[in-house]
Order: sequence, then C-alpha cells, then structure tokens
Amino acid sequence: MTRLRLALVFMIAISLQLTVFIDVRIFGVAPELMALLAVMAGYFAGPRTGPSIAFAAGLLWDVYLPTHLGISALIFAVMAYSIGSVEAGLFHDSRLQLGVVAALSTALMVIAYALSSEILGERGLIDMDLLKIAAVSGLFNGVLSVPAAPLMRWALGPGLDRPVGAANRPMSRG
Amino acid sequence: MASTQRAGRSRYRLALLVLTAVTLLSLDFRGFGPLDSVQSGVRDVLNPVTSLFDTVLSPVGDGWNAVFDYGDLEARNDELRRQLDEMRGDSIAAEAAVAALERLQNAVEIGFKGDIPTVAATVLRGEVGNFDADVFTIDKGSNSDLEVDMAVVTGAGFVGRLSRVDRSTSKVELISASSLVIGVRLVSTDDVGLGHGVAGQPRQFVIDQGPSWPEGGNPELLPRIGSAVVTDTGSRYPAEIPIGIVTDVSTPDGLAMVVTVELSNDVGDLGFVSVMLDAAPDEVPLRPVTPSTVVSLEIDPNLLDPDFDAGATP
Repeated sequence: MTRLRLALVFMIAISLQLTVFIDVRIFGVAPELMALLAVMAGYFAGPRTGPSIAFAAGLLWDVYLPTHLGISALIFAVMAYSIGSVEAGLFHDSRLQLGVVAALSTALMVIAYALSSEILGERGLIDMDLLKIAAVSGLFNGVLSVPAAPLMRWALGPGLDRPVGAANRPMSRG
Repeated sequence: MASTQRAGRSRYRLALLVLTAVTLLSLDFRGFGPLDSVQSGVRDVLNPVTSLFDTVLSPVGDGWNAVFDYGDLEARNDELRRQLDEMRGDSIAAEAAVAALERLQNAVEIGFKGDIPTVAATVLRGEVGNFDADVFTIDKGSNSDLEVDMAVVTGAGFVGRLSRVDRSTSKVELISASSLVIGVRLVSTDDVGLGHGVAGQPRQFVIDQGPSWPEGGNPELLPRIGSAVVTDTGSRYPAEIPIGIVTDVSTPDGLAMVVTVELSNDVGDLGFVSVMLDAAPDEVPLRPVTPSTVVSLEIDPNLLDPDFDAGATP
C-alpha cells in the first residue's frame, strides 16, 4: 500500500513539474520537485528506507532529463542517506527546520548534478546561472516543503523508521 | 549494538544503490538499446497523465504568465507591430523575388525542399527542469513516422533536430543550442562551413569552422552583411533550409573567418512546427576529393618488381 501511495505522489510531482512549473518560474528558475521528494524521504523515512525512495524519485526524473540515466538517482540517494543519518537530537519538530533543510539540500543537489554532468561530458551547465538556479530552486523547494510534507508523510504511512521521534509526530508551526 | 547493526544495513543498502546507479550510467554511456526503450516506455505510459494535468492546470501557468510577464508581453507586442509594418513594406519585393526564384529553379531543374513530406506538430512544452534550455517537446512521435535526427522547420527556416522520439511525443534540440553543429552555406560567397548556437543568445548563430579569411581582407570576397545562410547539401539535414542572415564578419587571427548570423526563427516563442520526413544519413556524405598535386598513373610496371634493378642496363 505504501508503494502505491508513493507511486501516486511521484506521479503528481512529475506531472506538476512537467506542466505547471514549465510556466511558473521565478527569475526563470523552476522548483525541483523530485529533489524535494528525495529530501522528504531522507527526513521522514530515515537512512534505511529513505535512500531507496529518493533513488526511485531520481530515476524517474532522469527519464525526462537530457543527461545520462542514473545521475539524479545517485545524487538523491546519497543526499537522502545524509539527511537520514543526521543525529536525532539535531532535529526539532518544526516546519521552519524542514524548509531550511529542503532549501539547503536542494541547492547542494543542483550543484552536485551540474558538476557530475560536466564531469561526465555535458557542457554548459557550470556558469554564473548555476548559483542562481541553486539559490532560487532551493528557496522554491523550501517554501513548497510546507504543502509537500503532509503529502509525503501520508504516502510513507505509519511504517516510518526515522530515528527521530519528532518526525513521526504532526509538525507544529515553526 | 542494534543501532550499529541498523547503520551497517543502511550503508550496505546505500552501497547497492550507488552500484546500481553506476551500472545504469555506464550502460547509458554505451547506448544500451533496451535502456532507451524502457525510458521511452515510461514516458509513453506517463504521457496521458501529464496531458491530463496540462489540460486541467494550464490556466495556472497562463495566469502566472499574465501577471508576471505583462511588461514583457507589451514589449513583444510593440516589436511584432514594428515587424508587421516592415513586412508590409517588403512584401512586394518578396513577391518579385519568389517569382524570380521559381523561374530560376524551373530553368535549372533544381529539386525543391518542398518535395519532402512534412508532419505538422504543436509545441507542448519548453524547458523541463533548469538545465534543459534549448529544447522543446512536440506532440508527434514514432506513431507519425518521426525518427531521431529529422529536421524541424517553420516557414521562416530551420528550428532544430529531433533528439528523442517516443511513441506520441518527441524532443527537439533547438538550433540555438551550442552543442548542435550544422553544416551551412553562405549564399553570397557560396562558402560552406560548420556553425552552432551561442549559449545565452537564443537568436545568434556563429559559423567558425570552414570559411577562411581572404588574403588582405578583400571586402569583395567577404560574405555580404544581410545575405542569407542556408543548410548545405553536405549537412545531415535537407539542403537549402534558411538558417538566418549574416550580421557580422570578423577574424580572430587573420586566417579563420567568424560569421555571426541572426537566426530567422525566434525559437523561444514557437507554437507550431513542421518535421521534415527525410531521415538523416548515418554519415555525412563526403565531397569528391580534388588532389592539389597530380601524380601520373603511367608507372613503369618494372618498378613494382622487387627484383628489378633500375641501375642495370637491359
């Protein structure tokens, strides 16, 4: 059942990315919804299950990207593992914290994606625009983490194994 | 103890995921066919869902554009009005030029590019994500006999090539992409060369391989500013498709010529395009090689005999 719910959330996210966020951009930059799902997976599902969910999200995104299959999947999985492995005591139960984690992680993933793609032979991804893309998509994802969090928690269901107890409780306002 | 075991299992799972990603990357690098088919299949399966979302949510995007791009729309409107005025003035001259071209073509029996069948397509969406600026997706695919590398055009000229073809959609790599290299011909001088787009300049195209700077920079031998640039017969695409007009000619070192071209199409603002159903050749046809020195073929057959002694008397 969890897989079915996750598949539904993935489908909604990729469809929004391919339709609404073709037009809805800030300074020409769209949010990175699949990266946001990867962050949420690491945050809520922890280091054991989170990377697998993030990997699947990255693989689906790779199908639509011009770069080689597997780059986003690799980066998303590693980022979800890193977020999931952060000590429980560092996490506080707030929307603000999740927003900040989503923003910073997204910016890092965007930069990692551009660097990896350049190393693997793509050209023109590293320029001054990269910083703008990282910053704006990070902020976009930070804001979108507010509506996305309940959706992702619903998709993950009650079987969350995040070692942070706070992540399993409904979030209070930050 | 339990937490150590759990951490170990997590690391093991991550290592497996990393290995899977690296395997996929290496297979993709080698152009592993089944991987492409699976990706194409996923896009085909999800296409009805994204189409449904597009239909339902298109007012959101339109509303966003109306609110935040209003100034841009006004400026574009003014520019279109100016262009329309210019075109009215040029229409009579153009009519005469077309008639002259037709007479010329009839006289020399040149094949016309209009003979190639085309498929009309609608532009579905532009840039996907943040790193895919010079592409768009059209609503026709292999169901309509499209193939990778076919030329995409409008009435104004070359738009790009099909870089990916799924069953019902295709991705077009635009001429503005710096990675798309095209064989072109400068109409005013008949020089041929290779050109490409310029990153961040969607209306600019640069020809920097092929034509050489004339000795002494004789202006009569340079391409005329305002003259046309078209696809060459040696390119991967049908010949004589308009690319744009020459706006600048320069040389970086006194040897090579760099020709700047303004593209005839505004590829960032297209609603409909045509795909030319003419499959690109696997290899670009080679021109006949003309040697610069001539070697006589009248060779004394004795010279081919290893035992022949040229110094010996017969």
